[in-house]
Amino acid sequence: MLSRISITCFAASYAVALLLELTRLWFRSGVRGAAMLAFAGAGLIAHTMFLAYRGLTTSGGIPLSSEFDWYLIAAWALTVVYLYLTVYHPRTAFGPFVLPVVLGLVGIAARFADRTPFPRSQALEVWGMIHGLSLLAGTVAVATGFVGGVMCLVQARRLKHKVAPHSGLQLPSLEWLERLNARAITISMMALAIGFLSGIVLNLVNDRLHVDHLPWSDPIVWSSALLLGWLVAAAGFTWFYRPARQGRKVAYLTVASFLFLVLAVVVRVGLPSVHGGGRSSEASLEPQAEARP
Amino acid sequence: MNVQLVGCTHQHASVELRERLAFSVNQATEALAQLRERFPKAEAVLLSTCNRVEVYTAYDEPQAGPTRTDVARFLADFHGLAFHDVFDDLFQCSGEEAIRHLFSVAASLDSMVVGESQISAQVKQAYELAAAQDSVGPLTHQVFQAALRVAKRVASETAINERRVSISSVAVGDFAKNIFERFDDKNILVIGAGEMSEETLRYLKEEGARHVTVVNRNLPRAQELAERWQGRAVAWEELGAALAAADLVVTATGAEEPIVTLADYEQIASKRFQRDLFVLDLAVPRDFDPAIGNCLNVYLYTIEDLRQACERNRQERDRELPRALAIVDQETRQFMAELNHRATAPMIKRLREGWQQVKDDELRRLFNRLPTVDDTLRQEVTQFADRLVNKLLHPPLESLRDEARKGVQHQLLEAFKQLFKLKD
Repeated sequence: MLSRISITCFAASYAVALLLELTRLWFRSGVRGAAMLAFAGAGLIAHTMFLAYRGLTTSGGIPLSSEFDWYLIAAWALTVVYLYLTVYHPRTAFGPFVLPVVLGLVGIAARFADRTPFPRSQALEVWGMIHGLSLLAGTVAVATGFVGGVMCLVQARRLKHKVAPHSGLQLPSLEWLERLNARAITISMMALAIGFLSGIVLNLVNDRLHVDHLPWSDPIVWSSALLLGWLVAAAGFTWFYRPARQGRKVAYLTVASFLFLVLAVVVRVGLPSVHGGGRSSEASLEPQAEARP
Repeated sequence: MNVQLVGCTHQHASVELRERLAFSVNQATEALAQLRERFPKAEAVLLSTCNRVEVYTAYDEPQAGPTRTDVARFLADFHGLAFHDVFDDLFQCSGEEAIRHLFSVAASLDSMVVGESQISAQVKQAYELAAAQDSVGPLTHQVFQAALRVAKRVASETAINERRVSISSVAVGDFAKNIFERFDDKNILVIGAGEMSEETLRYLKEEGARHVTVVNRNLPRAQELAERWQGRAVAWEELGAALAAADLVVTATGAEEPIVTLADYEQIASKRFQRDLFVLDLAVPRDFDPAIGNCLNVYLYTIEDLRQACERNRQERDRELPRALAIVDQETRQFMAELNHRATAPMIKRLREGWQQVKDDELRRLFNRLPTVDDTLRQEVTQFADRLVNKLLHPPLESLRDEARKGVQHQLLEAFKQLFKLKD
């Protein structure tokens, strides 16, 4: 049964949940909240089973074993964030902001990501796991900060123009969003710093063992360094310049961080790289076919 | 099963009478005990708010419940008023009408300010108090549970409760709460001392505001207001410093010119580190230079802005009203149908059992007289008797069900009881 679950299953569930979220703008419904949670929850279960099956059949139970898995796990983590926020703040419309990012990550995984598992030796390395998990946490934090930043700017604009809250599109308070943004910047900076440094260690170890050495000029290296550099600057800005911790400035910082992340992703999918064992142009587009034993 | 309501509301009675008939919690407890004493077979719930005093009673036998006169006498006696001062202003309704009224009340459709959210909590408290006093029974339990469910449904399926229509409630509920997550750590600055400032302060206090600073040209007046709201008063000369420390400003002075100009604000802006500032300028003419509203992280609202927001909310609320009324109507009809079905179900059961008994007795007698009849024939005869009973019962039972659906089955029930000698 597990092998029958495809990306389409959970992507469609998330898309329906997003459509239901968008209908908040037009009409009210007593059952929509439950339906939204049911679709997103069903999508998350299918998503989890898909990842679990892939883990068992293609990488011996090791998560983050390919670039494809990495994007899907980032989308999975963001969906968990979405469900958590929606359950605890049912009147607030998080979906129209979070779910497009989730679908975007799933779309990148399906269309562009390399499905070839990382070389087994690398995937098993402790450093490899630290590297992958930290970058994953950093990416989720940047995406969460971006969502919070956009919501903050929408809310600030609404309040500046003195528009009463739309009953369907309730947003959290500016104070809550500003706190989320400030935390997202700090957490993403720390996680990406750990991910980047562990990547350097990993590369040095591989270099010594003469396996899978990644050139320091590889697009992945410099685009990641650029993202990290920006996040360090943004975090420093919020720590040492008090006005940047509140108001719209912190929202602009998180949105800019996301643009750097998008740049890193574009570089990853657009430029040749030998990161993770190199790109396979023949990577299968149908995951279950690959996942089947 | 009967439900009856006797009471007075803002639509029928003057505020003076409502005030005289109102019950405190202790009085309501005592009143429920007295009602039980006077009408031991009736269930009772007493709903008393500033807009209404309503006595809901439910009973099985019509003579077991109080009449409008009984309730008027009870209310008059309890509050030491003359019977005739009370009687004329009381209204009465029963059955479906009473249920519909309670559902409308709980959903805040009968309130003075339609959509105000406190009433459903007050209905719940009234029901809980009656339950604690043992004066509710199966029927009032069903009715009040249903009323609270209807209130929730109206609140979730319409925006009627979300649309605030007073200046202060819009300022705090629609705008301040969208800027600040909490108010207990915010500095509230009140400039001047007007009625509307106090009203806004009341809403802010309800949201947890603790740090209130009052500035007034007249320091004793500032001190008086500060004392009333557990705040502190500062001299007029310290306005700049107070503004630098403030998160939310409520201003309503009678000044002819703005008391805070853009230049004044720019002087203190650097001390604020671009912290969010919400300014409610309730004064006419305005106390804050409108240009301050363009400064980064400043949200400046004038009374005109708030009035427009109130008007928009009022229009939206009016648009929601038909939907809310439709929900109440649908729920009332459904509730009555269920109630009537429940009332007829025991009757149908007794009738079936009675006829079944006759059939069984006759079959037994027949088979005793025909001992040679084989099993196949026995089965045929038994099935014939079953079919006959079912077919004979079908038309009267169907009529009873139809009447139950329409909700007017009392006479028919009585007729059934007499025709078929059915006992309760």
